[in-house]
Amino acid sequence: MNGLLVVWESRDVFLWGAANTLSLVLGCLLLSIPVGILGAVVLTEAPAPLRRVFGEVVDLLRCVPFLLLAYVVYYGLPELGLRLDPWWAGLMSLTVYTTAYLAEIFRAAFLAVAPDNIEAAHAFGLSRSLIYRRIILPQVAITAAPVIGNQVITTIRDSALLMIITVQELTFAANFVSANHFTPFAPFAAAVGLYLLMSFVVEAGVRRMERVRKVRYG
Amino acid sequence: MTWPAIRTILDGAVVTAALAAVSIVFSLPLGLLLALLRASRIPVVTGLLAAFVSLVRATPFVTLVLFVFFILPAAGLELEPVPAAIVALTLNTAAFSSEIWRSALLTFPRDQLEAATAFGMSKRATFIRIVFPQIWRANLGPLVSEVTILLKCTPAVAVIGVVEITRAAGRVGAETYEPLPPFLVATLIYTALIATLVRGQRVVERRIARRFGLVRP
Amino acid sequence: MAETDAAISVRGLCKDFDGFEVLRDIDLDLAPGTTTCILGPSGSGKSTFLRCLNWLEQPSAGSIRIDGKPIGRSGDGRAAKPMARRELAATRTSIAMVFQHFALWPHLTVLGNVTEAPVQVLGRPKREAEEEGRAILARVGLTEKADVYPHTLSGGQKQRVAISRALAMRPKVILFDEPTSALDPEMVGEVLCVIRELAREGLTMVVVTHEMSFAREVADTIVFMDGGRIREVAAPTDFFTNPQSDRARRFIFRN
Repeated sequence: MNGLLVVWESRDVFLWGAANTLSLVLGCLLLSIPVGILGAVVLTEAPAPLRRVFGEVVDLLRCVPFLLLAYVVYYGLPELGLRLDPWWAGLMSLTVYTTAYLAEIFRAAFLAVAPDNIEAAHAFGLSRSLIYRRIILPQVAITAAPVIGNQVITTIRDSALLMIITVQELTFAANFVSANHFTPFAPFAAAVGLYLLMSFVVEAGVRRMERVRKVRYG
Repeated sequence: MTWPAIRTILDGAVVTAALAAVSIVFSLPLGLLLALLRASRIPVVTGLLAAFVSLVRATPFVTLVLFVFFILPAAGLELEPVPAAIVALTLNTAAFSSEIWRSALLTFPRDQLEAATAFGMSKRATFIRIVFPQIWRANLGPLVSEVTILLKCTPAVAVIGVVEITRAAGRVGAETYEPLPPFLVATLIYTALIATLVRGQRVVERRIARRFGLVRP
Repeated sequence: MAETDAAISVRGLCKDFDGFEVLRDIDLDLAPGTTTCILGPSGSGKSTFLRCLNWLEQPSAGSIRIDGKPIGRSGDGRAAKPMARRELAATRTSIAMVFQHFALWPHLTVLGNVTEAPVQVLGRPKREAEEEGRAILARVGLTEKADVYPHTLSGGQKQRVAISRALAMRPKVILFDEPTSALDPEMVGEVLCVIRELAREGLTMVVVTHEMSFAREVADTIVFMDGGRIREVAAPTDFFTNPQSDRARRFIFRN
């Protein structure tokens, strides 16, 4: 009871934390989805040596532990002369990390598009950019929805690590309230509840895409 | 960066890897147990387990670590940071790996099970002799992926004070007032470790596929 | 026939796959408004030849002109340079293709499939393309299917959509790559019916097919290929009643 009261009284702290989490995740996706698609195009279409180099870079980025990457960006930015709020270090590290994963996801999704309908597009005179825009990406948006949804949930989870570099997102808020009021259960339970809500929303989105997929592809 | 500083970071890396290793030993079997329990379809149990798995998979790992560290004392279990870290890592990876095991169990060819029953094998024997030998080999790829993810998660236990690679790098940075170099070194060391594991995973996957002709769905 | 009169003009076409000779010294002129059926045993190179015509396969040597304009390589002989991608795409708009496995775009409706290339490549206004698309679909008997997705259609219906998609480009030539080979027997008829109608209307068509009686009935010219070379070019009655080569005789006998 005491715990719930504490959470209610600190609701603005929680809302601020949740808002930061959402803004970080959405900002990250807004940047990393287009760049990820571009990266996947490079991984598919570029001449062989460039593809290999890019492939190695993407593979390596996917092996970096996110927390350490966040620290490197957090301490690295001042070295470059940029004195920014930790939120920006958070956004940058999250974006770089998620872009590498999305590039790999989109690359695999491009390969999964049936080659014969790409060939037909060539035969009808569609240019490469048209083929990507009108034939490949629309199909990928629907077929890769579950995998992308998974990645979005992963990004939401990674965002919590940013609390360690003092970004005031949701877990930071829960930790703050818990430390100040000595009631650990309720604040963390509230945070977990909010994370659960966010992942439900993403999964609902994926289910909707699955319904569209069933209508279009059978 | 001086050699003692690098040594400190390397020691931290060893601690991190050790924590991960211990958790792997516990969490993969635990995940299998969870999957088997869910497959058994005992009414209340399956519901609770499903809820547990959903919760853990939606929760950020660092939040889980804090939760475990602060909540367990309230339930009467006072834990040091290191055991708490292992518990959190184990619960996390058990939940994720249980999904892998569960999918393997659900898609296991029914006709093989029918054959086993027809020949009078008990459920226990069927699992030990027929099901398990196939599913662990067929799912080695995803399971090792989970292990890689576990390794990438582990630095987060720094938040409850475990002196592993993150804290080690932080300590060096605090002593030299130059935080960037130790963290760069830590990142390089740890990434190299994970990259080696990933390469190894690919080699093992290929070898297993060749030997058993297994095609993962 | 002079090169410029022919709808399709091929000179000295050769194709190698990893050192294996698939096509050798193909010379051919096809008149506009005619239907040509390419026949031959499996492995004779007929599909490869067809796919060279719109440069889906790149020949190792030789030149191809569609309606007098070169495709794939601009210039002749030693001065020939590979065409830029944009030029190639532009040339392809006058050659339409119907594939053995339909190759419809699954994320677009039937009408979407028919209007996609005219709108995106030729720049036709969407409304005009849709009107024309519906008219073409009516011609092939698929009016009521215009707004459904391809996966709901039968094989015969899918192929008719593919033919509509080709017609919508108002091409100079239509290439058919074994259009009925992937269909169940009861659906072959509906597709051949459409192709027969197109032949009657005077479209220039090149059809690679196994359907002998169809070829006999519809073709103006039969091209018989075996072992990567053209063995005979003749009118259907001549070819089927009086084949000139042993290979042709054996082929006709077996089929």
